[in-house]
Amino acid sequence: MISLTDDQDFFTFKLNLYLIKSDTMEILDLKKLKNPDVLDRALEVLKAGGLVVYPTETMYGLGADVTNQDAIDKLLQYKARREGKPLSASVASLEMAKKYANINQLALNLFKNFLPGPITVVCYGLHKVVSGVESEQGTLGLRLPDYPLVTKIIQFFGKPITATSANAANQKRPYKITDIFEPLSKKQKKLIDLVLDAGELPHREPSTIVDTTMDDYQILRQGEIGQDQLQSPAIQTQSDQDTINYGQKLINKYLSDLKENCLIFALVGDLGTGKTQLTKGIARGLKIKELIVSPTFNLVREYDYQLDNQKGRLYHIDTWRMFDPDELEQIGLPKMIKPGNVIIIEWADKVENNKFQIPNVKLVEIKLEHISQNERQISLSSLPSLSS
Amino acid sequence: MLILAIDTSCDDTSVAIAQDDALLANIVSSQVELHKKWGGVVPSIAKRAHEEMIDDVVKEALTRARIKLEQIDVFAVTIGPGLAIALEVGVRTIKELAKTYYKPVIAVDHMEGHLMANLARNSLRNFYSPLALLSPLSHYFPLLGLLISGGHTELILINKIGDYQKIGQTLDDAIGEAYDKVAKMLNLGYPGGPIIEELAKLGNRFAHNLPIPMEKVAGLDFSYSGLKTSVLYLLKKIAPTGQLTKQQIIDIAASFEKSAVEHLAQRTERAIKKYQPKALLIGGGVASNQFTRTNLRRLAKKHQIHFIWPQNKRLCADNAGMIAIAAFYKAKRKEFVKDIDSLDRQPILSL
Repeated sequence: MISLTDDQDFFTFKLNLYLIKSDTMEILDLKKLKNPDVLDRALEVLKAGGLVVYPTETMYGLGADVTNQDAIDKLLQYKARREGKPLSASVASLEMAKKYANINQLALNLFKNFLPGPITVVCYGLHKVVSGVESEQGTLGLRLPDYPLVTKIIQFFGKPITATSANAANQKRPYKITDIFEPLSKKQKKLIDLVLDAGELPHREPSTIVDTTMDDYQILRQGEIGQDQLQSPAIQTQSDQDTINYGQKLINKYLSDLKENCLIFALVGDLGTGKTQLTKGIARGLKIKELIVSPTFNLVREYDYQLDNQKGRLYHIDTWRMFDPDELEQIGLPKMIKPGNVIIIEWADKVENNKFQIPNVKLVEIKLEHISQNERQISLSSLPSLSS
Repeated sequence: MLILAIDTSCDDTSVAIAQDDALLANIVSSQVELHKKWGGVVPSIAKRAHEEMIDDVVKEALTRARIKLEQIDVFAVTIGPGLAIALEVGVRTIKELAKTYYKPVIAVDHMEGHLMANLARNSLRNFYSPLALLSPLSHYFPLLGLLISGGHTELILINKIGDYQKIGQTLDDAIGEAYDKVAKMLNLGYPGGPIIEELAKLGNRFAHNLPIPMEKVAGLDFSYSGLKTSVLYLLKKIAPTGQLTKQQIIDIAASFEKSAVEHLAQRTERAIKKYQPKALLIGGGVASNQFTRTNLRRLAKKHQIHFIWPQNKRLCADNAGMIAIAAFYKAKRKEFVKDIDSLDRQPILSL
């Protein structure tokens, strides 16, 4: 249903339809044109369900109205062979992002510290976009491009536009307009309505795609920003039971790593910060039945675990009573490091980090701090595993 | 029957020789100056180097007992619970000895050893402990065992020798560990348990109202991590700068010890009421703690049951003597290891 208020709008609408249906795509040279003119034209095309090629700080993107099924279908026709891969959405602000996705603490942290910038933040979507934009699991990737003209267009448009790259399937990364069009068929070219040409863009990596739907950042595609730059926000637990539950969630997230890696949790925290409680949770996640108690006296306690498709051993090590970090070797650490095994080291700050920078070890550092007698703050950073 | 027993469950390398249930020698590496290699002083790093100690300690035990290896009838070893890599040394050594001398092996649970320390006799064949009070022993079952050490806090019901039932245990830290950690918070060094005990005698046990763990929780399990945290918060409150006066230190030590031992007594009393044992036996390093014993003895008296402790510091702490005694009773029950080759350590063995 189209409702128009006056003749002027009707005229513009007709004109748009004419332009969009025409075979010639329109290319606007951003170096020559004034921004307001470009803005108006881009808005017209987007409103009419057209496809707009736009520059970003990484490469050229292809924008379409994420709430318009016809526009998205057209875009998917252009991209072709995407095999159900979701599209990301470019937003103009955190406020706009919140209308379309559930922005949790992790996502908020990224918005505050990195955006606008080359990161795609994957969140749970609020299903306010048309089919094909969110993933099958209902997640939505959000971009906030570091390109003022583009965020301005989106802001005036009032809703997100797609943030997919402007190249067709299996074609090279689009850093200039000719990169995009050379391999295209006439038919494909016709699908593009407007091109905002900013010349050749610096050849930067595509955005880092970060999944924030778990308890910690999961990098789905590595771009310029790496895992080590992402700082997980701290999580606060209100009781021992809370800390145990957190441990259980934590191990569940890393289970897939155990197939090829040994998982080392390096716990750093003062007396009474809940290191053994966290271990109880990790053991619960591994379905270990034995009671997990403090390994302080024994130095290391070991428990076999067996899950549906993974088995191994949990080693719970406490260096509190050790005189020298070399004793880790004496108690058999090198033999413990095997894919499938989980090693938890209490008072890991006594041990130099590079001790674990070895192939097939996934190291997760966990800091535990007192807030009050019952409350604890837990923060973690995981370092990428080295492949062998 | 001559028994040679080895215990390498954690820090100390220990070897004992027993003639039946009478100890002829009970050597513990850290208490003996036999480390010629280190010039009489053991560097801290070597304390757990059982591999390098074991031969010397075996020799020392044989010398003290005036026994030759050929005379040994049974070889006994702790297979757990303990530190895997340490247990391995004892297990490997005993296997070699048994094979060399064609003698049987007995595998002993370290915790059974701590209970059996109460049944040890000296070379004059007198009990160290007041076990003579329970004569004949068979009339006094079930006994209630309370094992308290740096690594364990357990209540064991002894239906008869060899028939044990664990009825309670710590869910987090052991009592001895709590002593050590509180000592560390008070800057008393490690291991600080014995220092806390001495300082506590000088302090006011009612100076600070520290909570008694699990006071309102049913069951027979223990928990010491909460008490440890309570002491930490008490310290933050009364000494935010970390500077403590001598009076503050002794009062905290005294108040902590009162809560720690009260918890022990409360849980033990629950077990006494539930199982109606005829005697309370204690074992483990913390059994050397006088304040603990005074309180437990008072509890036993209240319930009109006997109170037994090993009455010898070495028999309380980790030692191979208690393993030899456990092995003696196991030999009487013919509990020999069937396949010596497949004998392995069991680090999380439980009674």
